[in-house]
Amino acid sequence: MLKNYIKISLKVLTRRKFFTFISLFAISFTLIILMVVTAVFDHIFGPHSPETKTDRALGVYAVKYEGPDAISTGPAGYGFLNRYVKTLPGVENVTIFSVFETTYTFREGEKVKLFLKRTDGNFWDIFDFRFLEGAPYTADDEKNGNFVAVINQATRDKVFGGESAVGKTLEIDGQRFRIAGVVANVPFLRFASFSDVWAPISTNKTASYRNQNLRGEFQALVLAKNKSDLPAIREEFKTRLANVEFPDTKQFNKAFGGLDTTFEQASRNIIPSSNFESQPGKLLAVIVLFMVLFMILPTINLVNINVSRILERAGEIGVRKAFGASSWTLVGQFIVENVVLTLLGGLLGLIGSLLVLDAISRSNLIPYSEFQMNYRIFTYGLTLALFFGVFSGVYPAWKMSRLHPVDALKGGVR
Amino acid sequence: MVTSEEISRTAKQSIAHGSPDASDMIRMEGVEKVYRTDRIETVALSNINLAIRKGEFISIMGPSGSGKSTLLNIIGLLDAPSGGKVTINGKHISSYSDRNLARVRNEELGFIFQTFHLINDLSVIDNVEIPLLYRKGSSGSERRSLALQALERVGLSARVHHFPSQLSGGQQQRVAIARAIVGNPKILLADEPTGNLDSQMGDEIMDVLKSLNQTEGTTIVMVTHDPRQADKTERIIRLFDGRQVD
Amino acid sequence: MIKHMIKLVWNRKRVNILIMIEIFFSFIVLFAAILGGVFYIDNYLKPIGFEYQNVWRIGISDNQNREESVASETSRNNEPAQPGSPQAVNSKAETVRQLAIAVREFPEVEEVSFATIAPYSNSTMESAMDGDGVPIRFGVDIVSDDFQKALGLQVVLGRWFSREDDGQQYQPVVINQLMARELFGDSDPIGKEPRRPKKGPDKEQSNEPPRRIVGVISDFRKDGEYAASENFMFRRITIDDKMEKTPNNMLIKVRPGATAALEERLIKRLQNSARNFSFEIEPLSKMREEMNLIRLAPVIAGGLIAAFLMIMVAMGLTGVLWQNVTQRTREIGLRRAKGATKNKIYQQILGELVIISTFGLAIGIIIVSQFQILKVIDFISLRVYVMSMIISVILIYALTVLCGLYPSRMATKIHPAEALHYE
Repeated sequence: MLKNYIKISLKVLTRRKFFTFISLFAISFTLIILMVVTAVFDHIFGPHSPETKTDRALGVYAVKYEGPDAISTGPAGYGFLNRYVKTLPGVENVTIFSVFETTYTFREGEKVKLFLKRTDGNFWDIFDFRFLEGAPYTADDEKNGNFVAVINQATRDKVFGGESAVGKTLEIDGQRFRIAGVVANVPFLRFASFSDVWAPISTNKTASYRNQNLRGEFQALVLAKNKSDLPAIREEFKTRLANVEFPDTKQFNKAFGGLDTTFEQASRNIIPSSNFESQPGKLLAVIVLFMVLFMILPTINLVNINVSRILERAGEIGVRKAFGASSWTLVGQFIVENVVLTLLGGLLGLIGSLLVLDAISRSNLIPYSEFQMNYRIFTYGLTLALFFGVFSGVYPAWKMSRLHPVDALKGGVR
Repeated sequence: MVTSEEISRTAKQSIAHGSPDASDMIRMEGVEKVYRTDRIETVALSNINLAIRKGEFISIMGPSGSGKSTLLNIIGLLDAPSGGKVTINGKHISSYSDRNLARVRNEELGFIFQTFHLINDLSVIDNVEIPLLYRKGSSGSERRSLALQALERVGLSARVHHFPSQLSGGQQQRVAIARAIVGNPKILLADEPTGNLDSQMGDEIMDVLKSLNQTEGTTIVMVTHDPRQADKTERIIRLFDGRQVD
Repeated sequence: MIKHMIKLVWNRKRVNILIMIEIFFSFIVLFAAILGGVFYIDNYLKPIGFEYQNVWRIGISDNQNREESVASETSRNNEPAQPGSPQAVNSKAETVRQLAIAVREFPEVEEVSFATIAPYSNSTMESAMDGDGVPIRFGVDIVSDDFQKALGLQVVLGRWFSREDDGQQYQPVVINQLMARELFGDSDPIGKEPRRPKKGPDKEQSNEPPRRIVGVISDFRKDGEYAASENFMFRRITIDDKMEKTPNNMLIKVRPGATAALEERLIKRLQNSARNFSFEIEPLSKMREEMNLIRLAPVIAGGLIAAFLMIMVAMGLTGVLWQNVTQRTREIGLRRAKGATKNKIYQQILGELVIISTFGLAIGIIIVSQFQILKVIDFISLRVYVMSMIISVILIYALTVLCGLYPSRMATKIHPAEALHYE
């Protein structure tokens, strides 16, 4: 029976080229938008190299301090992280690293803009960087303040003309670094790991960062041994935040924040909350709301087209009813037809998304971003396509099931 | 208010041809059809009592708006009567669900329309196969061979893969007949089958129907305007303003 | 005729309501896209109030504990009598002064100034003033005396701050015309001392000397061409003993034709002058490109999506209307048989469409107006809002009529005889 439905569907679709074309355009266009958006989200929040252990990693990206007269939100100080995060019990590893800053190097009179991130040695154990040559610097390098650096492939291309760079010297911001390793480019939107150049924290120009108690330009990432340990670690950090020692309570006397996944971190920054809470559920709801709002128009359009497609075939429906098709059989046939159509649209949408993602990646709008399609996005897209197809077919199918055979044979509805 | 007993008594009295027996293919007792809109009621049929025997070939005649198409639609289970009782091949169908009505249409009835109502998107053979699609347990090859047989009976086996638009009116109506008989129904319902054809093609179609009636014993009910074609049938039922006139 | 058409539309409401809903949502989508576009064009046509050509930004970081500077700011407000350790402050100011001298030595450099926030940067500072009990919000930058010349700001009233403000019992400030108008209407703002609100995060600090308006500039749109004009105030920073925080930016005007080689020499020179400091250098024109890209990208992306949605709607609508006409063959044939001309049929089909669109648009306009009435998007002026609404309405009518053209032409081709054919 299903085989017949599909056969009939394909026949109908190839004969009604105009309606088929409109439907396919609407479906594939909608899917392209949704899949591209999903791919971007996946690119930002999904587990991608070097941030592959996202399922058991949590970060302290920003802390909010409150006092009688002042409020301050931003990355934490080194001292704070060293004292309250580095010492968290029962974790596998903790890394502290700076927010990337802009620096320059000059090559043959040309200015090369480079982002610089200063990290500790653990950084290289927690993140899975792909080394093209050389090796990372170590905890000892960090302890001894050695001027060594890891650069990315793009920097090697720009500064060293793509030749092997390990052992060579890179001068940035008046400091000279020996290059220890070269890694594959990290996308810009992976804020924790992204940079062009990575160097030990101890190579900072002054040691004043060591005294930073509260506010600074550092972030930390905690890697748990098991996913199941995460709630306890979060709880411990919350307790610690409630008991932060403030050097000057007239200035600040309360701290807010928490250990976040990257998505939770985004929700903390985007969704306003008086206590600087992370509300990933709300952020997700906002995203879903926007997607639904976007989908309203294509859905109504598709419903309209589907109603027309059905009314146009009123005569056919009448004939089929006369020859023994029950309403439900016809509804089934119509839904199958719609699903076939949406799957076709889904396929076109997939191809379209690949092209759009490729174009965005090539445009270099966001540095080093390779937006890719993967099975997660594809499954999501397919589910959406099916939902879209079935949903937009329900009302028309219901309308069809109520079509009276006598009216249908006369070629219309009142 | 009349009880069903009273209806059946009046029915017995007024049924013209003989008393009810098991050989009645179609029985209508006190059938009414009223169309209601917000303001007006239109009576399309009133108190129709009719018995059509197995293997009969009858025609229904009457001027436009006399209710003949409505009557045929009620016999064909495409339309529900507002009152009265309809029995098809011994089945009292007024309590039937949509699904069961569909099955009766599929197994017991075959339709032929004035405007053919072929599906233009499907080839001749696919059109003919339609009734078999809604029948459980028939394989593709079975359907194909049954459809070919039906087309052979109407003399169109050469045009199997044409599309309706490539055929003449007479040929299209033959395809429609093939579609109507492919499921081997006991009753054929024809709504002005010759109305859109010239007289020669009309005669051909009548010959096909006549031979089906004679060789297969199919009961045929035909609505027509054309007294010439009506005269070829065994019995004529005349309607005027929704009533039977004798 | 119109009454007749409305009746027809009403009688076919089940089909028409879907079309109406589609037109309603199309209007909302189109309006959002047009609003973004008109807003940007409107902003783009207004002067930004400063010149970015040949101005370079040198970012300065003293690599000092940020916390210390926050603390010193708080202490300044609370205990002005004991300003931290004067020696440390002095040495920092001295370093900054040396940096300015070092940069001035370059013959290619015409002007040197300092600012807390650079144009086309992502940082902002906000404050508020008391306007009859209502806080009036404005953007702030704290800049040196040379800033006006370096960026070519146009003083339209009074003067820019200068040496003559040294040691006075007020803080000299310069505001933009927009803010002057909001605070004082048509009266002269020069010499006025507006107060800060009594409550809220920007509340008045009792020990702070009053801010006196010494001048009005035409405008200063820090975020550039595509940002709306907003209230803005400049406060004064002096590189002397009173300097408590290293200014984040040095803005220099260079001779036309300066290249990256100069950037390299400048940065090397600066690094030699202050070993513990870090520097960034970037022409404003480059920062402008980046900022404009960031601002334009979402509007372009939104516009593209809206355009595709409109194409989709247009095709869908054509299909639906086409089907409607086919379905009404009999009615139209009958009208023709009763003597309606082709033109009448044409008018009727398009007229019905216009009526449906009008209903959809009316609901759309009512809903969209609420956003403006409820001040949900108050940074967009009423003029821009109304203009976008008018453009969207015209475009929707154009779109629906365009979609109706082919189907109604089909309708005119229906032969009167086809009506009889169906009987």
